[in-house]
Amino acid sequence: MTDSLRTAVRQAVDLVPDLGTWWLALALAPLLLAAVTLLAAGRWGEEPGYRSVRTVSVGAAILSAVGVAGTSLHRPRLELPWIDGLGVWLRLGADGLSIPLLLLTALVGVVAVSLHLHVPQPHRPEAPDEEGIATTSPIPVVRGTDVPGLATYHACLLLVVLGALVAFLAGDAILFFVGLELVLVPMWVLVARYGDPGARREGAALRFLLVTVVGSTLMLVGLLGVATLVGTSDLSVWAAQGGAGLEPRTQVVLAAILLLGLGIKVPVFPLHTWLPWVHSTAPTAASVLLAAVLLKLGTYGMVRLVVPVVPDGFSALAPVLGGLGTVGIIWASLACLVEEDLKRLVAWSSVAHLGFVVLGLSTGTQTGLQAALFGNVAHGLISALLFVVVGGLKHRWGDARFTVARAALRETTPHLGAALVLGMAASMGLPGLAGFWAEIGAIYSAWAPADDRPDGWFRLFAALAAVGGALAVAYSARVLHEVWSGDRLEPRVPDAVRTERYALRTLGALVLAVGVLPMLLLAVTAPVTELVVGR
Amino acid sequence: MSVVDWPDLTWSDLQLPSLPALPQISIPGLSVPDFWGAPMQWLVLVPALAALAGITLSGRSNRLAAWIAVGGGIVTWLASLWQLRVLLAVDGHHASGSVGPLPLGELDVPLGLAVTWPLALVAATVATVALVVQVYSRWYLWYDPKYPAFAATVSVFTAAMLLTVVADDVILLVVGWEVMGWCSYLLIGHHSTKTAARRAALKALVVTRTADVGFVLGMVMLAAGARTTSVSGIVEHWAAEAPTRGLVLALVLVVVGVAGKSATFPFQDWLPDAMEGPTPASALIHAATMVAAGTVVLVHLFDLLAVTGPARVLLALLASVTLLGGAVMAFAQADLKRLLAWSTVSQVALMLAVLAAATPHTGPDAAAEHLVAHAWFKALLFLATGWLAVLVGGTAMTTVASGARRYRVLRRRFAWGLLALAGVPPFVGFFSKELILGTAESAATGSGGLASVVVLSAVGASAPLTAAYCMRAWLVLDRPTQIEQHAVTYQQEPVERIDDFFDEPQVVHEAEGLERAESAISSSARSGTTLLAAMTLLGSLVALLPVWRVDVHLNLQLLVATLLLMVVAALAVRLAARGVRTRDAAARIPARASLAAERGLGADYAYRLLVATPVVALARAVTWFDREVLDAWVRGAGAGSRLLGQAGELLTPRRATPALALVLGGVLVLAALGVVSR
Repeated sequence: MTDSLRTAVRQAVDLVPDLGTWWLALALAPLLLAAVTLLAAGRWGEEPGYRSVRTVSVGAAILSAVGVAGTSLHRPRLELPWIDGLGVWLRLGADGLSIPLLLLTALVGVVAVSLHLHVPQPHRPEAPDEEGIATTSPIPVVRGTDVPGLATYHACLLLVVLGALVAFLAGDAILFFVGLELVLVPMWVLVARYGDPGARREGAALRFLLVTVVGSTLMLVGLLGVATLVGTSDLSVWAAQGGAGLEPRTQVVLAAILLLGLGIKVPVFPLHTWLPWVHSTAPTAASVLLAAVLLKLGTYGMVRLVVPVVPDGFSALAPVLGGLGTVGIIWASLACLVEEDLKRLVAWSSVAHLGFVVLGLSTGTQTGLQAALFGNVAHGLISALLFVVVGGLKHRWGDARFTVARAALRETTPHLGAALVLGMAASMGLPGLAGFWAEIGAIYSAWAPADDRPDGWFRLFAALAAVGGALAVAYSARVLHEVWSGDRLEPRVPDAVRTERYALRTLGALVLAVGVLPMLLLAVTAPVTELVVGR
Repeated sequence: MSVVDWPDLTWSDLQLPSLPALPQISIPGLSVPDFWGAPMQWLVLVPALAALAGITLSGRSNRLAAWIAVGGGIVTWLASLWQLRVLLAVDGHHASGSVGPLPLGELDVPLGLAVTWPLALVAATVATVALVVQVYSRWYLWYDPKYPAFAATVSVFTAAMLLTVVADDVILLVVGWEVMGWCSYLLIGHHSTKTAARRAALKALVVTRTADVGFVLGMVMLAAGARTTSVSGIVEHWAAEAPTRGLVLALVLVVVGVAGKSATFPFQDWLPDAMEGPTPASALIHAATMVAAGTVVLVHLFDLLAVTGPARVLLALLASVTLLGGAVMAFAQADLKRLLAWSTVSQVALMLAVLAAATPHTGPDAAAEHLVAHAWFKALLFLATGWLAVLVGGTAMTTVASGARRYRVLRRRFAWGLLALAGVPPFVGFFSKELILGTAESAATGSGGLASVVVLSAVGASAPLTAAYCMRAWLVLDRPTQIEQHAVTYQQEPVERIDDFFDEPQVVHEAEGLERAESAISSSARSGTTLLAAMTLLGSLVALLPVWRVDVHLNLQLLVATLLLMVVAALAVRLAARGVRTRDAAARIPARASLAAERGLGADYAYRLLVATPVVALARAVTWFDREVLDAWVRGAGAGSRLLGQAGELLTPRRATPALALVLGGVLVLAALGVVSR
């Protein structure tokens, strides 16, 4: 029966026409066109209404998602000379490494642009006698409304998605870097202009810009260094050479620079301090994109630009990287135990989850790499789900503190409550949901690392990572205990609206599907893993 | 030396001669259809799908949710019977696949399933108890708007337990194990508006998951050594060589994890608190699933455990302490449900103890058999208690006093359940405990070593303790009612005639109670408890099936001595209960001691003092360091660049044209540099 199912699926897939490189155009062009249209629309004449803006933006995101799906299916490659003088080519294409992330980006992009933007309410100081009790306030509007600057906001979201897609599709180091940079400025606009004014958004935007620009600069230096030494910026050549002809010491230096630059973006402990700030400030959709897509650029960059390119350098630095990842797991999980702001808490938990990813990467085994790639996608889905819920709650509550008395989600807003339960369960690594396989794979691979890794250290990392798993349960249960269960019914807030429900159901179904059938993803990445590590 | 010439008896003498010749009964023209897949796949898949369907389809309709859940339960139960039939046909070992194998690089992850006789019987028991619980909870949570979620969680719980039973892969064991922990969180905290229930749920999840750090690491170590996650592969790999330090460490860690889930000392305290959950959930958690999972996992890994001395000794010590301590604590509880909870702690420790005591010669089947027996009578006792609680409005000992007299329909259920729990022949508990005693004795006199001796003495000592608390519970439940006493005073008739309720006005009151008791429960839930009650007797036949492979010599002297001790303990309790209004023998315990026992001897305080407080203090230190030290660099950089920017602004002309000129100049310089360097 499974065989007949498989045949049916294959026949259905065969019906999809092979459009060749047009798939790539379909994936990228709608985003660019819609972003330009939206940026231009507000400048002349009056601002378009929220309905037309959303239609254009969601339509572009869905078209682009179709293009990404086609690209993933037929894997077209595009190679055009771009900047002759520098030997930079416009190389676009998808492989097993990038397909899961491309699909994730396209999906999360649709989710992010479909969420409604709401103007954050001005911060109201609490009366001293009402401290600790959420004050009664008008029921917040959760439907779509006209918001000043909505077109620019949507254009920024689309540009972020576009940049991420370019980076994941790039077959050329410089192109990858361009994609990476393309993401940053619109993201900064989203945080600085549309962020929560109550959360000191200038500080957050400054941190974001400063930290990621420093990261980018380091990475550019590293990339140019490798490109000069190898003689090309073609990533497939980089991977094929596998560090041949590079002195071990040079490799270590290049790996250090690249890992430092990428580590800021991931973020790896101790370069993580910007993340909770930015998340606590950014509007919901920006948080979703930041957690689900932008952080993945860092780990993807490690797998693409460091592991196969300067293998000796990477294996020399791997114990440090694994150790920092492990410390990040424990550190962030502990921080979650006392954090009082729900959005910051989810941001901290991201640091912990990416710690598992980094730990898996640093073991230098196929198992570890598979777990890391799986963890990338799993964390993307889970954190997108959680940020949709938590962002929605923040808007409804007026702020994101959850230690004050609020209405219990289970009693008043069952849809949001169920999504929070699912997200937190996945976040604690519950088997059957996406987070589990990354966690157990990282722990296993750290216990049995590659031959050239120091066993003793990595086994310590494995034990600590397992403890981090238990801490994750503690903080997830704490959140559910405070927010989900309880007997308070006031102040009443509205439940999830239709777009939120669709988004939560889609993401929830994927979290469950990937968790129950992990081979959906593992089978896509397995051939690449063998190429990257199996030499 | 012995006065009586004790006959020589082994377990196989007691066993039924052979299996009923089922395969031979073939009705012409009717063969078992060849279904798709293997029954063990359906065992896991059906309840999982039922849960998914229950959550997504039922909406707010309790009735639809109940149909889905009970329907799923029935299909699961049929699959478990089908599994037994397949095992009859294929001679005791049946393997199959699941969603695997996974392409996880160097690690071989087949994700296989396999089932043998003892575990197939465990699976059938689990499926039956789960079905009864589903039926019962439909009645128990009739008006609860959250019933659909509850029913779906029970289905997931069943799927997870069945997965643990039929798994042949350590990853699948971990999957089932963790999912059960999570489901127990949801079930215990089902009444999430009650503070006590929320706290109990949190505690159950965090305590068991903390112990699971050991479980996960142990499993990872076992898999890492063998480079495969298949249980048979792991056993083959590690058993091939003499026990190494790695194996000892791995098994010790697994034992720690098992201790957490099975509520063994020092993790025992979550289980009595878990009584805050609805009674059907307690029945499920205590009888057939969560706490019994540790036994199942160790049965899977028995070939390794039996050759690893330190892990056995650790397990024997923890289990023995829990076995005796749990029984003593059960005696001192002032609440019937908590008494049953502590009795679960004690009985599950009994299963683990015999696993520690057993040698490869005796085999682990005694533990699996007690798991099956315990599932029948403990589910019965919990469901009867829940029923009684609905009738009398609580489970405190003073509230339930005379319960079995006032509601005579409950009388036989409680009596049989308690007799089976105490291990009185011919109930199922007697046979399984006899087998445990025999296994421990054979191992202690054989090659079992220290672990077996410790376990044997603990098992021997636990028998009278168990009898004591069972007797205590029975005396309270069976206390003659006021009206009966009046009847005795005035009419001097034997009280046994009380059933004849049409004769006298006082007894009509009883009859009303009887009618209420009969009608208060749905007929399906009632027949579920009847089934369980029947199984406390018929289960003896299951226990005597020849499929339990145990080679155990029974010491009749020990057997008679144990029974005598039980009788003495019961009589002592009867004596102590005289003169107490509720006939509660525990009223003789000093108030301070009984209060301390009710609070679990301060284990909760110890958890907070030793684990929770230091961890939270560390967390505060971490956040302080993060904010003041790590982030200070970023803040400093921000301020620095801002200063730099202001300095630049001061130096830069404010008007556009000179600024443009400066930029152009810069471009020219750059271009010149480019030309020169070329």
